[in-house]
Amino acid sequence: MQWLTLLQKEMTENVRNVKWIWVPLIMILIAIMDPLSNYYLPQIIDAAGGMPEGAEIQLPDYQPSDIVMMSLGQFSSIGVLIIALMTMGTISGERKSGVSELILVKPVSYVNYISSKWTAAVLLTLVSFSLGMVASWYYINLLFGELSFGALMQVLFFYGLWLMLVVSLSIFYNTLCRTPGLVAFLTIATIVLMNLVTTIFSHLLDWSPNKIANYIQQLLISGSVPSELIGAAIVTIVMSAVLLIASVYTFKTKDMAA
Amino acid sequence: MALLTVQNLRKQYDQKTVVDSISFQFASGKCVALIGPNGAGKTTTLRMLSGLLKPSSGTISFAGMNRHDDIRKYIGYLPQHPVFYKWMTGKEFLVYVGRLAYMSKQEAEQHAFRLLERVGLSEAGNRRIGKYSGGMKQRLGIAQAMIHRPKLLMLDEPVSSLDPIGRRDVLNLMDELKQDMTILFSTHILSDADEVCDELLVLREGKLVESGTMNELRETYQTAKMELGLERNLAFYRDKVAALPGVSACFIDRNLLHVSAQDITEARQTILSAASDEDWPLTSFAINRASLEDMFMKVVND
Amino acid sequence: MEVISILSEMDWAVVAPLLVIQAILLIVAIIDLIRVDNTHGPKWMWTLIIVFINIVGPIVYFIFGRRQE
Repeated sequence: MQWLTLLQKEMTENVRNVKWIWVPLIMILIAIMDPLSNYYLPQIIDAAGGMPEGAEIQLPDYQPSDIVMMSLGQFSSIGVLIIALMTMGTISGERKSGVSELILVKPVSYVNYISSKWTAAVLLTLVSFSLGMVASWYYINLLFGELSFGALMQVLFFYGLWLMLVVSLSIFYNTLCRTPGLVAFLTIATIVLMNLVTTIFSHLLDWSPNKIANYIQQLLISGSVPSELIGAAIVTIVMSAVLLIASVYTFKTKDMAA
Repeated sequence: MALLTVQNLRKQYDQKTVVDSISFQFASGKCVALIGPNGAGKTTTLRMLSGLLKPSSGTISFAGMNRHDDIRKYIGYLPQHPVFYKWMTGKEFLVYVGRLAYMSKQEAEQHAFRLLERVGLSEAGNRRIGKYSGGMKQRLGIAQAMIHRPKLLMLDEPVSSLDPIGRRDVLNLMDELKQDMTILFSTHILSDADEVCDELLVLREGKLVESGTMNELRETYQTAKMELGLERNLAFYRDKVAALPGVSACFIDRNLLHVSAQDITEARQTILSAASDEDWPLTSFAINRASLEDMFMKVVND
Repeated sequence: MEVISILSEMDWAVVAPLLVIQAILLIVAIIDLIRVDNTHGPKWMWTLIIVFINIVGPIVYFIFGRRQE
């Protein structure tokens, strides 16, 4: 009950501060940027003055799966940045301003407080991401060829897990420090570091969450779920859970006032 | 039986001890002021009592509360500078924090309505908190502290940031509230404490230096002071008065002789009889009781 | 001339959603800017940014211009 009250407040807040409008719209833009610009590249080059005499524009013949990967590529960079910026103040901002003082002197369970924040952020992220991918899917079917609905659902599920991990990281840093900007920085830095480690020790880290996108590509080409993807998905879920538990723990051991 | 019992409460940050082993208790129905200069550890003490800070050591126990119970259920707390969600209306905020304290939606709404009325915000209840003035926020702060019907209401410097009108409003409100609940509030202004409180806890540099009811403290620190006006030769009469039995001190300030004594009745008699026997050129004679202010200054400055 | 030819070549079913998104972002940002009490930086500056920088302007406003709480 208390959890629902907290979640309801988060949802209302995100409606009134118009996050529920701009985050989905940005995610849609991110997702359709590449499909559109690649399809219209010849016209764009023409409009910019055209190619020199004799030069032919040789555009690769994109498969639907290539375009999905382009959209996901944008989510991995701009998308993650937006998620980090959008969630950076959800707890740290409340502690910095002092509102949390009024909330946490009420008999609020820390588990409820943190998990409701997490749920609200995950919901906004996943709904926005899904809308973006559905828009991308619309253009793929319109411009590049057919991608099955089942494949779209698999992309949403597995990549959604990765974005959930990004939110969990942000929530964790939210409980650790009080400056929203620092939370965003640490979230991004951790993800960059994870990418780096995954690249360097690629042969050892088959189940790294950072590889989910690569495995999705295999999935789209082969049509069957690679076993490494299942492994990476499990690791991602476990890491998110550990981060949430760690968040509650840091919150419990920390003084809630300055 | 004591409502709140605090034993050896201490808070330490690194090397700095902000609150140093304080112990006190008070009964239900009292209005207690936690008084002391800025930086004495008042806010830290209240924050520990409200569960926002973890004590470095010491115990806080609440009447009727068992060990694993959440003290926050029984306490309403107003921080010195309450910050609200600006996008909520006053009423929404009250209902929200009421529901966080396990009230049903209907119950929270009804109580929020009554409280808004009580703190004089019925009109403003449906406006966004972002538009509230300082005094309105303070009154909303008191309402939110009372929403879950706590047994103890704790207010941190409730009037110090307000203008004279807002201050009057809040003091009057506290005067009403103390009829039906226990209040513990911190202040650095003695007259505020004197106005609404029965008991005082005086903090200085993290230590509890004095405590008791207002009357007890008045008695303990009561040294009567007399002021004598004389037409001439003040220095001469000063020496005479100082030599009288029962007089503890005598000095000249602004053309008056200031006399202090332990037992005023006795001192008055000796001085007045000497004056009439020797026909002193008296122009005035007055007795002032030492105010709590003097006690406060003395305790805090020693 | 090239711009016009591009416009006529483009399939409106393809471009319309983009324009709609741009329009919603612009309108919501402007309404929000009028409604909020204060922003990081002066309001006139944000008005210029929202109106004159396509798509990115409103987004930058939502992320950096709005005060939280």
